[in-house]
Amino acid sequence: MRRFILLILLITTPPLWAVGVIPDTQILLLKNESPLVAFRIAFLTGSANDPAGKEGVAALTASLLSDGGSQKNSYQEILQLLFPMAAGYSSQVDKEMTVFVGVVHKDHLNGYYELLRNAILTPGFKEDDFDRLKTDQLNYVAKTLRFNNDEELGKETLNWAIFKGHPYGRPNEGTTSAIQSLTLQDVKNFYQDQYTTKNLIIGVAGNYPPNLIQKLKQDFAKLPEGIADKESLPPAPKIEGVRVVIVEKKTPATAFSFGYPLSFTRSQEDYFPMMVMNSWLGQHRTLVGRLFNVMREQRGLNYGDYSYIEHFAFGGSFHQPPPNFSRHQQIFQVWIRPVPHAVRHFALRQAVREVQMLSEKGLTEGDLQGIRNYLLNYMVSLAQSNSELLGYALDDHFYKLPKSYFDLSKQNLESLDLNQVNAAIKKHLSTKNMVIAVVTENAEGFKKALIENAPSPIKYDSPKPEAILEEDKLIMNFPFKIQAENITIIPADKMFE
Amino acid sequence: MKRRLILFLFILIASPAWSESIFPYKYQEAKLENGLKVILVPIDNAGLVSYTTVVNVGSRHEIEPGHTGFAHFFEHMMFRGTKKYPADKYSEILLEIGGDQNAFTGEDFTVYYVHFPRRFLEKVVDIESDRFMNLDYSLSAFQTEAKAVLGEYNKNFANPFFQLEEKLNEIAFEKSTYEHTAMGFLKDIQDMPNQFDYSRVFFTRFYRPENCIIIVSGKFNPEEALSLIKKYYSAWKPGDYRPEIPKEPEQTQERKAAIHYEGDTLPLLSIAYKAPAFHPASKEFAALSLLSDLAFGETSLLFQKLVLQEQKADFVSGEYIPHMDDYLFNIAARLKNIQDLSVAEQAIFETLEQMKQKPVEAKRLEDLKSNRKYSFLMSFDTSKSITNGFYRSMAPYLALIHGVAAVDQIFKTYDSITPGDIQNAAKQYFQKEKRIVVTLTGAKS
Repeated sequence: MRRFILLILLITTPPLWAVGVIPDTQILLLKNESPLVAFRIAFLTGSANDPAGKEGVAALTASLLSDGGSQKNSYQEILQLLFPMAAGYSSQVDKEMTVFVGVVHKDHLNGYYELLRNAILTPGFKEDDFDRLKTDQLNYVAKTLRFNNDEELGKETLNWAIFKGHPYGRPNEGTTSAIQSLTLQDVKNFYQDQYTTKNLIIGVAGNYPPNLIQKLKQDFAKLPEGIADKESLPPAPKIEGVRVVIVEKKTPATAFSFGYPLSFTRSQEDYFPMMVMNSWLGQHRTLVGRLFNVMREQRGLNYGDYSYIEHFAFGGSFHQPPPNFSRHQQIFQVWIRPVPHAVRHFALRQAVREVQMLSEKGLTEGDLQGIRNYLLNYMVSLAQSNSELLGYALDDHFYKLPKSYFDLSKQNLESLDLNQVNAAIKKHLSTKNMVIAVVTENAEGFKKALIENAPSPIKYDSPKPEAILEEDKLIMNFPFKIQAENITIIPADKMFE
Repeated sequence: MKRRLILFLFILIASPAWSESIFPYKYQEAKLENGLKVILVPIDNAGLVSYTTVVNVGSRHEIEPGHTGFAHFFEHMMFRGTKKYPADKYSEILLEIGGDQNAFTGEDFTVYYVHFPRRFLEKVVDIESDRFMNLDYSLSAFQTEAKAVLGEYNKNFANPFFQLEEKLNEIAFEKSTYEHTAMGFLKDIQDMPNQFDYSRVFFTRFYRPENCIIIVSGKFNPEEALSLIKKYYSAWKPGDYRPEIPKEPEQTQERKAAIHYEGDTLPLLSIAYKAPAFHPASKEFAALSLLSDLAFGETSLLFQKLVLQEQKADFVSGEYIPHMDDYLFNIAARLKNIQDLSVAEQAIFETLEQMKQKPVEAKRLEDLKSNRKYSFLMSFDTSKSITNGFYRSMAPYLALIHGVAAVDQIFKTYDSITPGDIQNAAKQYFQKEKRIVVTLTGAKS
């Protein structure tokens, strides 16, 4: 049995900036006066660990634990027991992380902990739960993802196209054919192999009693130890040239996502200059980013335009990134929210041109100062609750950061100079080799437009300043020819088969 | 002399000044002479302040034909700048302070918020007061923003739930402005670029101090905050516009609609009944609200039957969102097969009949009351979630009309509800002629 190493962060409010992680820690404790006790129980496994042909089993295993019965209680009984507490727990599965997240008021801690522990350590693996959750997972991919949200479909298509053949290269929920083939035994096998003490990190925060930690240690030590060395992730596929995947469906507007693999994560030096670049170009859902300003604010093309150097889950719902979607391989990504079909070619040209201009010209000293200040101030609002703080601490552990993400960002941002930022931009930002995912109708028409590289003029209902009209001429004629063989059209109902 | 006068513009109305309540923090309420209300909730944290402005305007107030969606449109326009701080200057300041800000619009209210480090409090009070008092935008900016709103509609339209809600409201209401969603009718959104003059009228009608409340939470000095709010907002002149919101005539016949969704989706079912407006002392509101969980929540018999045992639906829910006027008690389900739409419909009707015939178990009702209290406590754990909690749960209504003390009142009302009250509410409101049924099926279902 592996011994647990405790990191106890005895912190009273305010805890921000104070959460840190040391290597080999398995239990992260954030002690403060909050009556709400937060748990994040993480396993360093995820959809990238799905065995071949079993794509989706990591997600189904986690949902069977969080949304199914335990050996002691049926799921129905669990819901009844949690109800007076107004508490619950949920699971979150990404490529390399699976996390069970829950919060309870300390008045109900004992009863809650027992249910949470049973869910993870003694799952019921009942046939009826399995059937229900497998069907839900299949319906999510076959119906919701393919048809109910063009923006998510675009993002998943981009990920799928960039990472084709790689363990990242499908939705976390799997492909429709693989989900259909999953059996309860597949889930049990995955649980046995992956839910191990070697993969485990436990986070607890709030005003919990000391004996809770003893219980956690004793209880979770019952998991199998697991194999010593995991298979390492293959490198991200190399993208050569510009490839376009058009997902065709009936829709009132065209959604775009484009990008390519990055060679760094937040654990590397280049992350911080690129964080500045990204914030300048496309800070998520704020007025700050350049793309937002030139595409939405000046031209009214759509609802918003953003860029990313780290995976941002549920970007359509959240303003700030939810933690615990850590990945060892990240992509640079631009997200153009749906634009009217009539200006789809113009919008794509404009976004690509903006990225290209930034890659060629870099930032100015003024840009750097402005964004540096912004980020240093903005970070205070990133993690406020105990659960969010634990989430960040778990991510620090995943990336093996020498200090907390907040401290590290502060330190690096303060010391950055313009040369470093522009050198990182030169090295990592490009429009030469990338994938463009498009969700639209009349796919053949758009394919033709891309191949012909014909001008894509734009008309406005309102007068525009001369400078914008002049720039529009450059945008509409921006050379962005795509070879026919690099354009693929896929009907929406064939995606993720 | 002037200084002394200003001091008296500020009137504390909370009694005592620091209130004790089920609301988990001490708070202070205040009101300026011009009618602007203020709620201050100091919380110890790492230095974040959340500054929220709730405006008593939503799609409910869009009473003139052809102008639906304007409350939401205004939420967008509020970022288009003033003479003192034009849009680019406003953005520059947000950049400087690292502000995390946004806004959203509902049927009854519009909410604006900024989260920022505490040292920028005065700057935020300055820029926020300025845009609420002195918004100034060009025709071109107005017309450009109208396109962004259309983009938002287009993004939403792919979602079958959006289409379901749009249709439900459209057929449920004839006179009430709840007939349209907060987005507005598509034809009105498309015509927005032509409504510049109306937009100015809309602003001067509703963006007035007596129609707004400011909520400050997080790490700040309340005296300093009050003093700054007084300094920056006191010149704001009250208005006199009082919209005459049309009353919905009584529904006398069941209404039905079926939506044909382009593409594939699981079939959706929505069954709604006309239900009363929110009031913290309303036993009917409290009883129906509790019933929504008892009959259709995750611990309900219907959920167990349709979702867990027979697995015909992947979710069932009952929703009764507080509104200023009579609104809808809505039951929704997503089925796995199209032929189960009628099965689910029948099961929902039977559940409602049971609620009329048989009182709920006392233990379930007690568990639910506990659930409500702990849900409330757990939803207020950071300065940001106070902002969130205020507008996500019941607070806009409380804050604007009744004050935070009404939180205690609604919980007292919940506590007073008996199984008999729930049975009576079911009998009174779940009648066939008050019902609206909407289904949505995909082209490929």
